[in-house]
Amino acid sequence: MKFKTQKIAYWFFAAAMLLLVLQIVYGFIMGFARIGMDGLHEWIPFNTARATHTNLLIFWLLLGFMGSAYFIIPEEADRELMWPKLAWIQLGSFVLVGVVALVGYHVNWWEGRKFLEIPRPLDYLVVVNVLVFLANIGMTVWNGKRYTTTSIVLYFGLLAAALLYLPGMIDFDNQTLDSFYRWWVVHLWVEGVWELIMGALLCYLLIKLTGVDRELVEKWLYIIVGLTFLSGILGTGHHYYYIGAPRYWLMVGGIFSALEPLAFLGMAIYALAMAKKGGRRHPNKAALNWTLGSAIMSFVGAGFLGFAHTLPQVNMWTHGTLVTAMHGHLAFWGAYAMIVLAMIAYALPVMTGRKLWDNAASGFAFWLSNIGMVGMTGALAVAGITQVNLERRMGLDFLTVQKEIEVHFIGMLLAACLFLVGILCFLWNFWRFGLPSDEAVHSDVRAAEEDVSTPEPARAS
Amino acid sequence: MLSKFQARAFFLGGTVVFAGIFLILTFDTHRKIPAQTNSEMITPQVAAGKKLWEQNNCMGCHTLFGEGAYYAPELTKVVDRRGKDWIKIFIKDPAAMFPGQRKMVKYDFTDQQIDELIAFLEWCGRVDLNGFPADPPLKKLMQPAAGATAGAGASGELPATVAAAVPLPVMFEQKSCTGCHRILGKGMPGVMLPNAVTGEVVAAPALDLVFQRKTREELIAWISDPQKVKPGSPMPNLVPALVSPQEVEQMVDFLLDLKAHVTPAN
Repeated sequence: MKFKTQKIAYWFFAAAMLLLVLQIVYGFIMGFARIGMDGLHEWIPFNTARATHTNLLIFWLLLGFMGSAYFIIPEEADRELMWPKLAWIQLGSFVLVGVVALVGYHVNWWEGRKFLEIPRPLDYLVVVNVLVFLANIGMTVWNGKRYTTTSIVLYFGLLAAALLYLPGMIDFDNQTLDSFYRWWVVHLWVEGVWELIMGALLCYLLIKLTGVDRELVEKWLYIIVGLTFLSGILGTGHHYYYIGAPRYWLMVGGIFSALEPLAFLGMAIYALAMAKKGGRRHPNKAALNWTLGSAIMSFVGAGFLGFAHTLPQVNMWTHGTLVTAMHGHLAFWGAYAMIVLAMIAYALPVMTGRKLWDNAASGFAFWLSNIGMVGMTGALAVAGITQVNLERRMGLDFLTVQKEIEVHFIGMLLAACLFLVGILCFLWNFWRFGLPSDEAVHSDVRAAEEDVSTPEPARAS
Repeated sequence: MLSKFQARAFFLGGTVVFAGIFLILTFDTHRKIPAQTNSEMITPQVAAGKKLWEQNNCMGCHTLFGEGAYYAPELTKVVDRRGKDWIKIFIKDPAAMFPGQRKMVKYDFTDQQIDELIAFLEWCGRVDLNGFPADPPLKKLMQPAAGATAGAGASGELPATVAAAVPLPVMFEQKSCTGCHRILGKGMPGVMLPNAVTGEVVAAPALDLVFQRKTREELIAWISDPQKVKPGSPMPNLVPALVSPQEVEQMVDFLLDLKAHVTPAN
């Protein structure tokens, strides 16, 4: 670690991990409800559990992104964070708003729009909070000793994510328009600007872990995020097939979503190629596993499984079924959860000065959580395909079909247990690292971390 | 080989071009959506229904236009499928309608709010969704099997000529019977639901010829408390909250009187 203020990242990561555990708890509540064990229905009905589950995901990923930015930006800009105290305030207030929102979901206070359930008054607080975050990061970049592609892409990813939050706050009486602009937020986040953030984090980790020349890694970063936007922006059309928007979206969405896997494939090949090229073997194997794992699983989950139901002819039958949940789980896990876990796995040794990177727990964490998540995705896939055939193709009643596919949720719950054990191993390691320390600044860990790439020429601020 | 400058130009150029196309299409879509969705039919009542839909996070279980969670049925065409009367009764006490099945929150909606929700769902059902949800293409292959299970599927109905001649009391629609049963040419053709105890899937029989199978006492006992007669049955418990004992008697009398209108072939 080069700068003291990078330590703030630790607390963002710690908060993110707590919320991840809570997210898993709510996942279990839903899983059990689906096999008929809905004893919590009076207090936590399914719609509460569902909104809490998905919002916790968004919430902890954002905390992870913010923590990563607080960790990366000072180093890339080669200076301390502009306003460290403000970062603390921002963390505290962000968590507070999130907790209020989550409690609200339990007392029927929300704005029931999928993924954007946060009640409107809290929306404004989120906006203010994110502006504070962007100002802090932005001023650090602006006043930095150097501008790197990684930091610029990361910053613009975060800025665009904040801007794209706004269309979700426009009120419409027309459900179709409401839905149309809701996807501006949801789709353009996860299949657009979040990939800028992911790409930048991937790029940073590859530079650090493989020792490949920064110029080369960053050049390909541009190509990857370029492909992402090329396919992803018009790929939004795959949400517009059947919501009351004009028919041409079937064509536009179909063609460009078919291209989306290419961007993810590019990302996976990029990460693997860089890792292969890097002659230097970084001792932090866990971080490298998570980094490469993220690139590969995002291709499988977001790219391949997304493509599996994105063509309009297929989507006509799969739209609104568990097939979507199947794709959603592996996509979020691969593309975003794993990259945040990769950042944490990389940053913890650097922030705490402890080299706990190669142990049994970190191996278990990686493999069990991944196998568990693939298992959950498989169970959802079987359930989803069965639902499509029985309900959509044969016309059986909804509840009858749900009864038929109950058994797959037992499978899903078992896989989820495996996943949970993996995550608990990760947390156990997290705990053992202890708190970040000022002594870690320029410690011997740093020596192993020495960035061998050539930084871009320093510019006067 | 590609330089970093070219790579950046590819990224910036591609983003600007495709974002531009996206904005143009958005502009066009925004212009066309009102016609495609009959936005002139969005009355204050429909708008109020949409608010209720959001304030209670209905999307957290149901799907609408195929969007939402996948825990409860798709509701885009629900007014066509179930009818307003059925929905009104259902929302007042969802658990009564599907005994022992997956639960829905019992909301304390006023009659006015229920009407607003139904108006909203009715508007949704009329939006041109480019063919979604499509009719199940394999359903026609299923019909013979379904008829056999139902027992009373097609064969349990009065001849169409007789059915058309006898008017069905509105009570049968208002009290949601036709949401599952078929009678005198009206209602759902044998909705199939699982028994909550045994898991066996059973079809709601057509009621035209029920006089052949059941006595007056049996019918009254059945409608008044189905769970007592057949535990786990998907037949809802509507008495006395939604259907009064007097109404039960009226229904049963009507069903038995159908005998006068027909001399079955065998």
